[in-house]
Amino acid sequence: MQTDSLPRSEGPVQLAIRMRPPWRFIDEIRRFVESFCACAPGCPEHREAQLAVAVHELVQNAVPRAGQGDVELLLDVDPGIDRVLVEVTNPCTDAEYDELRRRVERMNAQPDALVHYVETMRSAPSHVRGGLGLARIRYEGQLEISLRRDAAKVTVVAQGKLKVPPPRPPEKNAGTTPEAKPCCK
Amino acid sequence: MLQVNQEQFSAKLSPLSAGIRVLFRGNISTPDPASVLNPFVDAVHDRAQESGEREVSVDLKDLEYCNSSGFKSFIHWIRRIKEMPEERRYKLRFLTSSERKWQRTSLLALTVFAEELVEIQR
Repeated sequence: MQTDSLPRSEGPVQLAIRMRPPWRFIDEIRRFVESFCACAPGCPEHREAQLAVAVHELVQNAVPRAGQGDVELLLDVDPGIDRVLVEVTNPCTDAEYDELRRRVERMNAQPDALVHYVETMRSAPSHVRGGLGLARIRYEGQLEISLRRDAAKVTVVAQGKLKVPPPRPPEKNAGTTPEAKPCCK
Repeated sequence: MLQVNQEQFSAKLSPLSAGIRVLFRGNISTPDPASVLNPFVDAVHDRAQESGEREVSVDLKDLEYCNSSGFKSFIHWIRRIKEMPEERRYKLRFLTSSERKWQRTSLLALTVFAEELVEIQR
């Protein structure tokens, strides 16, 4: 199909995927999301990889909790209101949800995404998997993270502006003190 | 253990005439890559320490992706360097590819984590 002559819409574009584990789908989804964002109207070039990283980390977090259930991905890119939204939904026990909720609350209590990310790098045990992904999404993807609980499922919502400035080297001493300014927000 | 060969990624030490270089390739996206990467970086660290390196090149040009669990191995490596007496510490120079757009943002945070030990080369 030739698309060159078609009008390039500036309206929202949406991607929805429902998948079952295993892990091997994750790389394919990340690559597809990066390509999808490259085609999405109004998506800055540097944003493609940031959103692909966010999707990868959220889906990777979801798969172990999903068991035999589905993992659902929704990506909404809306240049009209300058917003990008990523939602990943998976089955989740009450205990898993409570742990996740506490983690997100702790993260959001630190207003500076870079400070929190660096603190997490310092404190997360290197021999235990997990613990860094949400902080990475929040800082690198410049996305705010929240949760939604629905029956026996949890949806992790990551949303932010579509048009953000490209990343730049942090200021000297950024991320080292609670007063440090965010470099990319 | 100076080499890792997994289905999706590999890592190996490549001695140079001056200094050492570590090459990462593929996709670090398995659930627990640190279980094989931490022993690898420990072995590289020991080698660098023995030979008194001032810098180790970490070549990521052929690394398509690294998930946060894999990223922890770089953090583990930096922690090992920080444990050394200051005068014996060496730098990690990350060699990156402009085609791997994630590398630019992901490595920025590492420079904040260990400004004096991490350099990014594009």
